[in-house]
Order: sequence, then C-alpha cells, then structure tokens
Amino acid sequence: MAKILMKGNEAIAEAAIKAGGNNYFCYPITPQTEVAEYLAKRMPEVGGVFLQGESELAVANMIFGAAATGKRVFTTSSSPGISLMQEAISYMAGAELPCVIVNIMRGGPGLGGILPAQSDYFQSVKGGGHGDYRLLVLAPSTVQEAVDLMMLSFHLADKYSNPVMMIGDGMIGQMMEPVEFPDVYEEPELPEKTWAITGAKGRKPRVVRSLFLDPNKLENNSWHLYDKYELMKKNEVRFEKYKVNDKNEILIVSYGTMARICQTAIDEIEKEGVSIGLFRPISLFPFPQDDIFTEASKKNIKNVLVIEMSTGQMIEDVERAVVGKKKVTFFGRTGGIVPSPEEVIKKIKEMVSKKSKTKKKA
Amino acid sequence: MLTDSRSQKWELPQIEKPINIIVGGYGSGKSEVSVNLARYLALDKTFVNRPISILDLDIVNPYFRSREASVELEKLGIGSINPEGAEFYADLPIILPQIRGAIETAEGTVICDVGGDDVGARVLSSLAGSFHAATYDMVLVLNLSRPFTSNVAGCLKTISEIEFSSRLKFSGIISNTHLMDDTNEEIVLSGIALSKEVSKQTGLKLWFVSAEQKILNIIESAYIDIPVLPLNRSLLKPWE
Repeated sequence: MAKILMKGNEAIAEAAIKAGGNNYFCYPITPQTEVAEYLAKRMPEVGGVFLQGESELAVANMIFGAAATGKRVFTTSSSPGISLMQEAISYMAGAELPCVIVNIMRGGPGLGGILPAQSDYFQSVKGGGHGDYRLLVLAPSTVQEAVDLMMLSFHLADKYSNPVMMIGDGMIGQMMEPVEFPDVYEEPELPEKTWAITGAKGRKPRVVRSLFLDPNKLENNSWHLYDKYELMKKNEVRFEKYKVNDKNEILIVSYGTMARICQTAIDEIEKEGVSIGLFRPISLFPFPQDDIFTEASKKNIKNVLVIEMSTGQMIEDVERAVVGKKKVTFFGRTGGIVPSPEEVIKKIKEMVSKKSKTKKKA
Repeated sequence: MLTDSRSQKWELPQIEKPINIIVGGYGSGKSEVSVNLARYLALDKTFVNRPISILDLDIVNPYFRSREASVELEKLGIGSINPEGAEFYADLPIILPQIRGAIETAEGTVICDVGGDDVGARVLSSLAGSFHAATYDMVLVLNLSRPFTSNVAGCLKTISEIEFSSRLKFSGIISNTHLMDDTNEEIVLSGIALSKEVSKQTGLKLWFVSAEQKILNIIESAYIDIPVLPLNRSLLKPWE
C-alpha cells in the first residue's frame, strides 16, 4: 500500500482494523476523540462494532464482556478516562482476557489539561487498578510506529491472554505523519481460545471470572499471572538506540515523542563536539532494565539523564536498572508543556560543564 | 528569508474578495496554507494599506492550530482574534463576538482558517448570516494523500458534506497535496491533476497549488500551469 498522510489517532484506528480489531467501544475525550470519529465512519464499512458508551466505566465493562467472547476488542481514551477504566482492567487481567487499551495522555492529575503529557507512566506500568497484575505496555514515538505497535498489541494480547496498553502523549494522537499499512497483517500463529464464551452448544459451559474465594486458588492464579509476566520480561523487551557509542559522555533515556526532541538536541550538540547517546524504551513493561544497565555501565558514560514530560516517573525504573552504578539525573516539563530541544541542550551543557569543573579541581 | 520564498517561476495567487474562507478535510493543510497566505498577502506590495487578518475558526482540533503562529504573524502586521488566557488552549467551541464584527465590517483582507471536515465547517453555519452580508470566497484545500480525499469521488463527497454543514457555497480549490517530509515532485503534480479533475466536474476554480519551497525548487516550471503559493512551514512539531 502506498504511503498516506494520517493523524496519529486515525492511524491507530485503521491499524486496529488491519489487525482484526473489529470491536470498538469508546467514550470521547480530547486529545484522542478522532479515533472514535474515524471508526464511526470505518466500522460499518468493515462490518465491525462501533459503540459509544455512556461513560468510560461502561465502556471498560463492555470491553470486559466482549473480550470474554474471544473476539479482538479495544478502546481508546485519555488520562482521566483511563483512570475510570481501572476496575475493569484489573478484572480482565485477573480473568486473563486479551484486549487493547490506548491512552493518548494529557496533563494531569485530575481533569488537568488537554495538552500532551507523559504523566501516566506509573498508572500504566505499575498496575493502575488493584491486585497482583501487569499490563504489557508499549510506547510509540512516531505515527508509523503507533500503527506497527497497535497491530502488535492485538497479537501480544492474544499471545499472553492479557490486556495490552499502548500509550502516547497527546502529540502522537494529534500530529500528522506519512504512514504505510500492510495489505494484510501477518502474525505468528496463536493458541486457540479454548476459554472463549461462544455459546455452549455441544460442549461443556465455560466460565470467565476473576473471583476466587478459596485463597489457595487465588494465590495460584496470582502466581500463574506472575509466571506470565516473567515470560513477557524474557520475550517482549523492545527498545531502540540512537547514536549510542563509546564516545558518549551522557546516556539519555527517554520514550515516545520526547525521545524525538532528544534526538534533535543530540544532533545539534554533536556539532559542538559533545557526544550523547539515546536509549529509547519501546516496551515500558517489560522495561529494558538489563539493556539500560549494560549501556549505563560502560566506562565512557559519566551520567544518565532521564527526560520525560512529567515530574519524573520512568526515572524510578531507570534508577532501578542502573543500581547506583552511575548518577541518574532528571529533566522534565509537565502539565502540557513540551520541553524544547534548546532546553534539553541547556540541561546537557549544564551537566557537561559541571563535570569538566570537577575534573579541573581533581 | 521571507522574500526569498517568493517563487519567481510561476504566477502568484490572486486574492479578490475581502473574506476568504479556507476549508477542507482534516489534515489537508488548511492552517499552514492560511498562515502562509496571510504572510504572502502581508508582504505583497499591492496589498499595502489593506490590513490583513487571520481568524482561527478551528473548534475541532486541540493542537497545531493557526493561532499558534499568531505572534509571528503579528510582527508582520497581520491581525488575529483569539481567546485570551487559558481559553487560548481550550478545545471549547469558542467564537468570540469580535469575530462576527471582523467578518461583517472587513476592511482589508480576512483569511478564515476553519477546522476539518463537515464537523469543523459547522462553525461557519452559525456565522453564515455574517458571511452572506460580506463578499466571500470559500475555498477547498485538497490533499490527495489523505484517506478520504484520495480520489474524485471522495473530494466530491467532502464538498457536498461541507457545503451542507456550513450553509455556504464553495467557489474555489487549492491543491495542497503533500506527505510532509516525504513529499516529492510526483506527489505535488498528481495532486494538481486530481484538483483539475475536481475543478472540471464541479466548475470550481482552481485557485493555486501550494507546496514547500524546497519541493518547488526541483519542479520544472513547465509542469505547473496554475499560480503557486510557496510554503514556509510555521506549525512545526517540537523536534522540527
């Protein structure tokens, strides 16, 4: 298929259809409403389901019910809407149901604002709802990557029978970029959904639930989920490195569109002879912990700089990965303010000049 | 730099009416065209003593709106009417009362940048009375690279949907086919071909083609036989 120009939100919607995600439940919220707008037109064309619920609570429970039938289901929302969905997400994780949830993040907490932010990192990777569970979390930095990861999300949700969340700041949803779709989304074979509720004709009834009153059974379920998350850690770590080499003085860790701003800053400061590398996690859970450790441990790296559109959330996972081996510094803007490449350069220069001063003293 | 952007290879667009409403599908490039058109008029000698203003009537997009260029445009003497304070950033359907006044008593040339599709154009309906009192041109910005306007049928559908929701009639077309940084000569030229076909079928005048200066530089002058508006992008992403 030839390249076309799409807004991130539209591209995410089309990618879902390409991956067979034909059951969509939603409630509008800026900055992701175009997903719903696009699918309101497209779903009838492909014979899919488009349903606008009365609230995000309703939508999340519609997803729960629809996922139990074994069909590919998804929803999209933005920060406050995702907060409202947490109960059902926890139920789906407990009941091992696959579904895809997209969060196009805006500034919080509370109603916050409508401009881009990355301040739902904790909510996405550390649970969000109650209980011992994890979501597999992916974070694209371009509209094309949003397309690719959206299709992959459906595959991974089925592969692990677990909700998958794709998160992007508001810009991922709102910006226009050229994208290309495969004619057919090809994916490795998946296990049959022997748990799906499809009408018990000629077979024993099946029950999908997250209620286990017997503590032994509940504990077993939690350890079974744990094993699954360990398997994700083994198989699903994804990241990208940009200009990472043995001349780097600083290793930047940044994800999503923030990483692209860092790339511009890295290219600019390179002209002044300062070498900086960028490590961009694509999977936020599982977090590329070992790979960050390996890069950060290298002799040439003096400092690890985490840059986020928040007051500092992913930094906790980076610190955990670096295990005190190197100093981890943070820079971020939040509330809808996007750091500029100039601000990133200024931060880098501060760090580099501090270091040279320390050297002189020694 | 701005004067350098004037392409000498082709005729420049002619703007006749006091009110120029720039409408189109989502992502056709209306805001970028509006900002560049306002800038071109502000720098055009024949428009001296004719105030140029730009009205951001986009109430459907939360980001990348022409109001983001208002500070830059103000330096060129281009007026704009935007909500103040926190409302500047809001995704609320705010149409300030001054907008109606600016349309009804337009002294110079007014560019109206409208949100995408029939949904975005609905705002025009509430102002239709004011537009009918003035003399306006409503122009459709076409981008062949966008999914719903990739062929003549899609363009005709967009035209009828926008005319229905805006209660206004189109009089022209702007060919703005692009694929952001992936734009090449072939994309611009195939966009012109589509716009010509739409123009033929609807009787709407093809006003001009707009494209980034760097693309225009590589196109032979003989390949374009309509006026050209060179674009210098103003609504950039933070890393651009």
